Parts: sequence; C-alpha cells; structure tokens
Amino acid sequence: MDKNVILQAKDVVVKFDLRGKVLTAIRGASLDVYEGETLAIVGESGSGKSVFSKTFNGLNDRNCYIESGEILFKGRDLAKLKKEKDWLQIRGKEISMVLQEPMTSLNPLKTIGDQICEAITTRAPGISRREARQETLQYLADVGISHVEQRYKQYPHEFSGGMRQRVVIATAIACKPRILICDEPTTALDVTIQAQILEVIRQMKEKYNLTVIFITHDLGVVANVADRVAVMYAGDIVEIGTAEEVFYDPRHPYTWALLSSMPQLGEQGEELFSIKGTPPNLFKEIHGDAFAPRNPYALKIDYVEEPPYFEVSKTHRAKTWLLDPRAPKVEPPRVIRGLRDLKPVLPEG
Amino acid sequence: MLKYLTKRILRSFLTLAIIITIVFVLMRQMPIEGYFDNFDKLTEEQIQVGLKGMGLLDPMPIQVADFFRQLLQGDLGLSRRYRANVPVAEILSTKIPVSVKLGCLSILVSLVVGLPMGTFMARYKGKWFDRLGTLFIVFIQAVPAAVYFLFIQLYGSVWLKVPLLFDPSKPACWILPVFSMSLGNIAYYGMWLRRYMVDESTKDYVKLATAKGLSQNKIMVRHIFRNAFVPMIQYLPTSFLNTVIGSIYIESLYSIPGMGGLLVDVIKKHDNNMVQAIVLLYATVGVIGLLLGDILMTIIDPRISLGGKGGGR
Repeated sequence: MDKNVILQAKDVVVKFDLRGKVLTAIRGASLDVYEGETLAIVGESGSGKSVFSKTFNGLNDRNCYIESGEILFKGRDLAKLKKEKDWLQIRGKEISMVLQEPMTSLNPLKTIGDQICEAITTRAPGISRREARQETLQYLADVGISHVEQRYKQYPHEFSGGMRQRVVIATAIACKPRILICDEPTTALDVTIQAQILEVIRQMKEKYNLTVIFITHDLGVVANVADRVAVMYAGDIVEIGTAEEVFYDPRHPYTWALLSSMPQLGEQGEELFSIKGTPPNLFKEIHGDAFAPRNPYALKIDYVEEPPYFEVSKTHRAKTWLLDPRAPKVEPPRVIRGLRDLKPVLPEG
Repeated sequence: MLKYLTKRILRSFLTLAIIITIVFVLMRQMPIEGYFDNFDKLTEEQIQVGLKGMGLLDPMPIQVADFFRQLLQGDLGLSRRYRANVPVAEILSTKIPVSVKLGCLSILVSLVVGLPMGTFMARYKGKWFDRLGTLFIVFIQAVPAAVYFLFIQLYGSVWLKVPLLFDPSKPACWILPVFSMSLGNIAYYGMWLRRYMVDESTKDYVKLATAKGLSQNKIMVRHIFRNAFVPMIQYLPTSFLNTVIGSIYIESLYSIPGMGGLLVDVIKKHDNNMVQAIVLLYATVGVIGLLLGDILMTIIDPRISLGGKGGGR
C-alpha cells in the first residue's frame, strides 16, 4: 500500500465549553491517515471518535474548540482554521462526509437531484446546469440506484432508509473529495442493508481513489472494511494497527474488552461479556491510564502515570503499561486467544 | 387534488350556511325594543306593523328560507337602522376597499420587514441584531397596542407634518396607519420565522449541506429559510385576510371610513341585515384563509398531498 500520509493529527486536544464548565473530549490524540487506505476508528459511545473526525472538516458545534495540537492536511494546519471562508476550501471538495442518520440528513423539501447538483455546483461554480445534471445521474448510478432519470426528480421521503444512505453517499462523492469521513453510516440501518452500504462505500473508494475514515462502534463492520483500525477510549487512541493485528493480536486490555463484547464471540448458554463500569468523567482531569478503573489487569502504575505508546510492530502500537518489559506477563482472556487461533480459518479482511 | 378541493369547497359552503343560520336565529332572540328608536311611545299596533314590515313575525323556518333565497340571488337586503333603506351591499362596497387597501399595504410592509428581520435574527443568533430584534418583539407583544398607536399618531403626525385624522386624498396620510398596523405582524412574523429557522438549523441536513461545502449564507437561503417557511405559510393567508378585514383600533384612531368596528356598531343598532352580511363576510374570509393555507402547504411541501392516499409521513 502507498504510504503517503494524507492527513496527520498531532496531539490534538479538543474541548467543549458547556456553560462555563469545560469538557475535554479529545485528550491529545495523534493519528496518521495514509492516502488510499480505509481507516476505522472504533470505540464506545462518547469515546470522542466522532468529535475527533469532525475536527478534520470543522463540523463540530460552536462551543467546541481545539486547544492545542496540529492537523496537517496539504501543508495547512486545519486546527488553526477559524474563518468560514477557509473551511469552505476544505469542506466538500477535499474532505466530505456521510452522516449516521440517512432519514434526516437530506433536506425533505428538495429533490435528491437538486441536492446532489448543489454539491457539484458548489465545487465547480462555472458548470452548466445540464452538465451538473448528467454528472448527478452518473453518481446516482454509481451508488446503485436504478431508474436514475426518474429518481432524480423524487424527494427523500420517496426513498427507503438504505436508498437514502446511497443518495447521501452520492452527495458526498459528488463533492469529489480526497478524504471521505463516514460517521457510523450503517448504524441506523437494517442489518441486511448494512452490508450493501458497506459494499457501495468500498466500490466508491476504488472508483474515485478515496481515503476513507470510518467511524463505528460495530466491530463486525470494521472487520469487513478496514485496512487499519484505531481504537479510541476517553478521547485518546489507545491502540492502532492493521485490521489483522488489532483483531488477532490485540494488546490493549480495552481492545480485549471490546472484542470480548462482540455477541458473535459469546458462547451458547453463557452470559454475554460486558465491560464493567462507565467511561471516565471528561469534566475532570484524568490521571494515569484512563481505562485503569475498569481494567481487571490494571497495574499500580496505571493509576499514577499515563502509559506511552509501545510498539508491537512497525504498524502496531498500543498505549498500555502491560507492554513495558518490566510488566508482569499477562495473558489476554480466553476468547481473545481463541481469536488468534481462528485466524487461519477466517477469510481475509 | 381536484376531487379533494371540490369536496373541501362544498364543505366550506355548508360551514358558512350553518354559521349564518345560527347568527340569523340568535339575532331574532334579541328583545324587540332595539328595532325602534321611540319604542316607549309606540302603540302595540304600530309595533306589530313595524315588525311585520321587517318580516319578523313569520315563523323562523320561513324567515331563514326567505333569507337564503335572497342571498342566492345576490341580494343582501336593505339596511334598516344603520342607514335606513340603503342596500347593505352599497354600504359595504364603499367601506371594504378602504380597509382592503390599508390591510394589503400593511401586510406588504410586514412581510418585507418581518421576514428579513427573522432571517437575520436566526443567522446572527445571540448577536446584537438578534437581541435588538428580541427587544422589539417583546416590546410589541407586551405593551398594549393602544399605547404605542397613540404615540405614533401624536408624534408621527408632527414629524411627517400630516393631519391627525385620515384624509384619503393625501398619500402621506397612509403612512402612519399602515405603519401602526404592520408593527404587530412584523413582530409576529419575525418571531416565528426566527424560531423555526433556529429549529431547522440544528437539523442533520444542514450538517450535510455544510459538509458539502456550502457557505452558511447559502444554507440559510436555500435550505433553512424555505423549510422554516412551511409551518408559517399555513397561517399566512388567515393572518393576511384578518388584517385586510380592518382594524377597529387604527380605523377609529384615525377615523378611517373602513370596516373596523362596523360589526359592533350594527349589532348595537339591531340592524339584522347588516349583521348577517358582515358575519357572512368574516366567516367566508376565515374559511378561505384556512383553505388557502392548506393549498399553499401542499405546494411548498412535497410530503403533503391533499389527495389523502399519497405517500410520505
């Protein structure tokens, strides 16, 4: 794979101002996104995965601000962009987005053709109406919508959820972005539709040479689409590696816990695994490892000092003291070891 | 759509017939003294002759039937007491145009000022313009209209160098009444449009439009304004017609010879035919307003269809 870094986030700290109280949503997260890859960011609700990715196109709410850190993209630091005018050069034509809720992310009063055309005319202001229309029809066909001429004139309420999400993807693609952020694009959909939507995203990525940042809490989805996986917990990336590494050789206790919670791995007749406790309060400052209070393998040092990244391989690193050479040897839970053994049996990627 | 409209219009006629019948019957329940100026001095015989002359001694169903027969021929009857023996239609036809002209102008001003005001308040929510606008709205809503109407008349007429009372031949005389009448609607349109637009601007489709790279101004105009306008459009015809029908305050303040206050006058004077005609007019306006509102909704919102079996939510 091409290893050009297209977007680089360094020690990003994002805070929310909530009526005088300050919430730290992202606590110094760093991430390299390589050109042409599909990177999945996983984590439970409130882990900051969505906020983090929205800092890349400035879509966070107004009370949200980046306190420190850099987000480098095409030689610019997106973290410093304040004015709308600057963001307009990034949004859409460089970084575009698919939102979670297809039922509400289209304007109910405009035909879907108009809404896609709008993306095209925004990117290329000089384009004629006929050309924009032709292009729109092409994008609609790309995402697997039939009878495009007729569909062009229809309103969102005439589409099913899955079809609407296809339209949303077509809209995002119509911006001709380099990076496509998919913020839980399948969460609101039927399981049977999910696979289709994932396939559409995969095809679009191939056809239009996209770099895809995929945000999800569904590990099954991750296994299907991702080249690399970043696991987020309490506003920081605790483990990152190729999909294989994170799935078959996870090192962070939080990743173990996440994987163990997959119902697919539960054993018949036994209670399903769940992570005990709740994520830390982000209004308070966190000392040591944020996961320590919920971590059955926590060491004393976890409560005192935040662990650095330990490299497992060139592409795989995790933020846990368990990887320190001085740490006691801890075996991951049985289910996780089971995954490792399953590896040769499972089909690739 | 056509089928629905036909049904709806027929039903409107039924509604009007019921309203006017009820009013007609109620008017006949009033004490008969009111029909005469010098009731005490009249003999019983004179009273009976008078009542018979007005057709009030016939049994109620016959009176009602007579009334509707005349109405269908386009005859609203004669005014008896307001201006004796002048056709009702003639009286109204001199008064309605004044009120309609006044109302149309004031609605025009309200829309031209109120809608941009609401839009800008929503666009710069929390900024100084929004605060100023909110102050204005609260003032208009909280202070009784009569108070600032009076101030506008007193100071405005000095400032514009126009007479206190209305003179239809001078265009400048229209300014103050129209302005006064617009204030309430400006505040009303501004307040609701701002509110609906603020609601809309938190919706997901606005986020997607932002992610597409549209500027906030374009999103405001192309997406939010139009969507916020849908809930408003339903009430616009009603508010329009209510304004056009005349304002009792403004018209009496400037002594404008319009419709405002006419209904109260003729009820006091026991002028049955006038009351019936005016009630009919008001009820018609109300019914048409609602119907127009619904039709406008279907035009602007594709999810709503009047056919009954259409898709959508």
